[in-house]
Amino acid sequence: MGERKQEGRRGEDEDEDEEDEGGRRGRRVEAWERSYADERSWEDLQEDESGLLRAVDSKKQQHDQYRRRLQCISSRIQRGLIRYLFVVVDLSGAAGHTDFWPSRMAVVANGVEAFIREFFDQNPLSHIGMVTIKDGIAHCLTDLGSSPDSHIKALRAKLGCSGESSLQNALDLVRGYLSQIPPYGHREVLILYSALSTCDPGDIMETIQNCKKTKIRCSVIGLSAEIYICKHLCEETGGSYTVALDESHFKELLLEHAPPPPALAEFAVANLIKMGFPQRGAEGVIAICSCHKEAKIGGGYTCPRCKARVCDLPIECQICGLTLVSSPHLARSYHHLFPITPFDEVPSSFSNGLVHTLPRACFGCQQNFPGSKSSGRVACPKCGRHFCFDCDIYIHESLHNCPGCESQRSS
Amino acid sequence: MKFQVEDLTVYFPYEHIYPEQYQYMLELKRAMDAKGHCLLEMPTGTGKTIALLALIVSYILSGRPSAPSKLIYCTRTVHEMEKVLSELRVLHRLFVESDRQQPFLAVGLSSRKNLCINEAVNTAGSRDSVDAGCRKLTASWVRALASENPNIPTCPFFEEYERNSDALLPAGVYTLQELRSVGRQKGWCPYFLARHMIQFANVVVYNYQYLLDPKVAGIISKEMQRECVVVFDEAHNIDNVCIEALSVNVRQQTLDGASRNISKMSQIVEKFKATDASRLRAEYNRLVEGLAQRGNLPVSDAWLSNPVLPDDILKEAVPGNIRKAEHFISVLRRLVQYLRGRLQVEYVETEGPVSFVASISSQAGIDQKMLKFCYDRLHSLLLTLEITDTDEFLHIQTVCDFATLVGTYTHGFSIIIEPYDERMPNIPDPVLQLCCLDASLAIKPVLQRFQSVIITSGTLSPIDLYPRLLNFNPVVSQSLTMSLTRDCICPMVLTRGSDQLPITTKFDMRSDPGIVRNYGRLLLEMVSSVPDGIVCFFVSYSYMDAIVNSWNEMGILQEVMQHKLVFIETQDVVETTLALDNYRRACDCGRGAVFFSIARGKVAEGIDFDRHYGRLVIMFGIPFQNTQSRILLARLDYLRETFQIKESDFLTFDALRQAAQCVGRVIRSKSDYGMMIFADKRYNRHDKRSKLPGWILSHLREAHIDLSTDMALRIAQQFLRKMAQPYEKSGEGGNKTLLSQEDLIKIAQNGSLFF
Repeated sequence: MGERKQEGRRGEDEDEDEEDEGGRRGRRVEAWERSYADERSWEDLQEDESGLLRAVDSKKQQHDQYRRRLQCISSRIQRGLIRYLFVVVDLSGAAGHTDFWPSRMAVVANGVEAFIREFFDQNPLSHIGMVTIKDGIAHCLTDLGSSPDSHIKALRAKLGCSGESSLQNALDLVRGYLSQIPPYGHREVLILYSALSTCDPGDIMETIQNCKKTKIRCSVIGLSAEIYICKHLCEETGGSYTVALDESHFKELLLEHAPPPPALAEFAVANLIKMGFPQRGAEGVIAICSCHKEAKIGGGYTCPRCKARVCDLPIECQICGLTLVSSPHLARSYHHLFPITPFDEVPSSFSNGLVHTLPRACFGCQQNFPGSKSSGRVACPKCGRHFCFDCDIYIHESLHNCPGCESQRSS
Repeated sequence: MKFQVEDLTVYFPYEHIYPEQYQYMLELKRAMDAKGHCLLEMPTGTGKTIALLALIVSYILSGRPSAPSKLIYCTRTVHEMEKVLSELRVLHRLFVESDRQQPFLAVGLSSRKNLCINEAVNTAGSRDSVDAGCRKLTASWVRALASENPNIPTCPFFEEYERNSDALLPAGVYTLQELRSVGRQKGWCPYFLARHMIQFANVVVYNYQYLLDPKVAGIISKEMQRECVVVFDEAHNIDNVCIEALSVNVRQQTLDGASRNISKMSQIVEKFKATDASRLRAEYNRLVEGLAQRGNLPVSDAWLSNPVLPDDILKEAVPGNIRKAEHFISVLRRLVQYLRGRLQVEYVETEGPVSFVASISSQAGIDQKMLKFCYDRLHSLLLTLEITDTDEFLHIQTVCDFATLVGTYTHGFSIIIEPYDERMPNIPDPVLQLCCLDASLAIKPVLQRFQSVIITSGTLSPIDLYPRLLNFNPVVSQSLTMSLTRDCICPMVLTRGSDQLPITTKFDMRSDPGIVRNYGRLLLEMVSSVPDGIVCFFVSYSYMDAIVNSWNEMGILQEVMQHKLVFIETQDVVETTLALDNYRRACDCGRGAVFFSIARGKVAEGIDFDRHYGRLVIMFGIPFQNTQSRILLARLDYLRETFQIKESDFLTFDALRQAAQCVGRVIRSKSDYGMMIFADKRYNRHDKRSKLPGWILSHLREAHIDLSTDMALRIAQQFLRKMAQPYEKSGEGGNKTLLSQEDLIKIAQNGSLFF
């Protein structure tokens, strides 16, 4: 960004430009334009009751937002743990807009990279495929697979935008792939849509109905504004429709799709799935790998049924078709089914006389709570221990165990 | 839900109520308590209709001594009428459920064309031909003949209705559709049934014309008592409706047709003289006694009454020199001859009614009194001659209409004779216009007759001008704003293009290529960043044609088409309907579309562009009326002299209410959102902007005034992103936008509203 600006007389005010969202359509920003193009720092100020200005407490806001998200996913319901997800990236002309810095598609690519890693971390049993839309045609970038790197590499290689966008083509293509997967898998499409219209060869309403019939859950993240057809699609197929305000919001919305969604009613039947838990091969053994069709030394796993060698888990055995996983994979998915209850916020207006009876330090990190105000702390409804916001997020998003409850149980 | 508005118990069919609805009811109730007229402005999408109906019906059924007996609800279109009736149905269900002893009766009334169920009649295309077809089957002399000769066709439904003439409908709500099906079921004529039921109904819903047009009002509404509440909904154009009701145009074709009618009438008169002279004699005697005797005609014979309502005219006897049929016909012949002479003009002539009457009197020998009675005399003659195909006699009726109006009013009117249309000066198309200049003339009888008249609309700004135009004193005049959970409307005033040059549709500058290009760039920028539907309003057809042509030449239109499909309103109704239909489809399927339309056009008045059908509306220019029009000039003069309203004030008021009407099409409910761009530098002036309705002004932030295209684009993008976020529908904390029953009780106890 700095480089682009430096040729010119304003080399010295780089710092200011850092705030800048950049000239739209790649133009250089003139001084008179900048007042509208910059980040509107004054909007981060808030007026309190006495008329004093103070900065918006962004940390508190973020935490509130996180809690709201937690509330809606915390109930104990059946979730689809084995997901087959297609990520559709819209690379039509609109993806080249620069209202997201440096461009929409770069933001999307970065987001997708983070998302894919997070996705496999949370859903080790699931698969992702990628589709791009360009010039009104949908291309399959990668087939369903569970290697994060291959998806990310493929998207990075094909990044470039042009032409119209077509929702129908993308949906038809994806539906072709997803209709073949086994019935216990949850079929999902996540569309990252930059364009504001869709140029379709046929009746898109029919396609949407077909998706509904094939039980594909379609979700859309818009990058510019709410579009009726996307909303309609999501409502019909049970997905979610969100529109990103800016880069960070986009990433947030994208990552919301990483935890498994509630199972559709039609899927909510108990199903037994045959799985193999292969042993890791001994070091130094040479074997022909069934996935790469070449001889490899050491490592790898052996299928318990047909004894073929595979390189990575989880995978479907190429020879006998058995789903191969390891026990940590199953364990990592397990917490989605039994989430820890969200912590209650300790109200800031807790009567002053009682403040001293509250614990001073967070039970998780043992650091003192800031100031005398009792806000900024949450309590576990089961064990009653108090935690700070950071620990709250850590416990719910990474640890999936409440230290308070665990320590009680052991004693 | 049930709650108290001051001391009145109101039944409201929904669980929650908006604060502004409550406020609206409060104002209404005060006006009805005072038995006075009122003016209320409240934006669309706030449930104005149901608030109004719930309060008034509750008031009527409250049984208190001051309660009015009937609600007369006037709408502009059949579609609106159906909407009102369906709201009434919801209300009716509530009353039945909360087992009130006397549920109410509500009837919708429309013309025969919408109600007739006789296949032989209702297949005729126009309204007039259905009316005439009906009369051919139901006129008293036809039925008398038919009773002797069964070969003469009559209408079975009307006969059946007549046989059960004391037939009554049970209490309930009857839409037009239901009236028809009841009619089919029982074999009764729905039209006459509805007209009969009006006397008994608690709520009557019908068109403006039934009250404002004196020709129709005389028959339909004459039995309404003084203790009625009259509501004019969507009444922002009420002054124009009033004026149209009393204006007459006479063209060459009208006069030719009138001549034909006259010769036909004289033939029939001759025939009667030979065969049945006693009938003409009887008519003569009746006329000697006075027109008032005419009152008890059979219901199916009466079709139009006097276009002016002064009571004394009915008591006066018809002047002697037109009592005889042949004398009257010769008077008509002279009148038509005279008018024909007047149409032969080279230049535009403007004249007042007084001098016009004087010149008729000296040149054709017809004095003012004879003119005044023309309409009634013709009416009587047509009855006597037993003429049923009244649609053929429209021309002579127009001429008599004209004569009566000229003969009755000495001021408030003006006669303008134009030799050709302004736009096509080479084609002679003379027209003699009798234009009413004073909107208060038509509404005066209504205001005098009924105890409360309520004029309400989404846009009545500036609200103090309406009482002056209509010449009355409202007891309540109030403009209410909308309470919103979020800023879901985003008005912007755009004054410059992206090159900082001012943009305007001012007449001398509108064809400047720079301005045309700037408008084009504006549209282009917007189509590329606004999803789904965009509506554009232009000031006139000719301007739209010109600018779309230049856009086409500049290649702007092609670029627009890459983003969205383009649809255009034309003067052809069928074509426009088709365009609208396809526009909606394009919005539905995600292709996106732009609709080019005309301020003051059909689309601007009656079509909603809610939700994704209109995310943005661009008003290109200010829709001033054509100030070259003689009629407008005459009216402006009159307004200045009589009501002391400045020309510029009236023109701005009129233009801005049209603009507000146009942009108001995009937002029809609170969960909706939309942007409005006023693209003209003149909107930036305070005198223009301040005339916009309050609910738009309150959202017009300082930062959104005097924008250039790129600034507007930036604001639009941010607004659209913000609106796409999920939100809490009921609002939080002190900013409550939905009130429940408990909230209302709290309000009643505190005695004040907390917003």
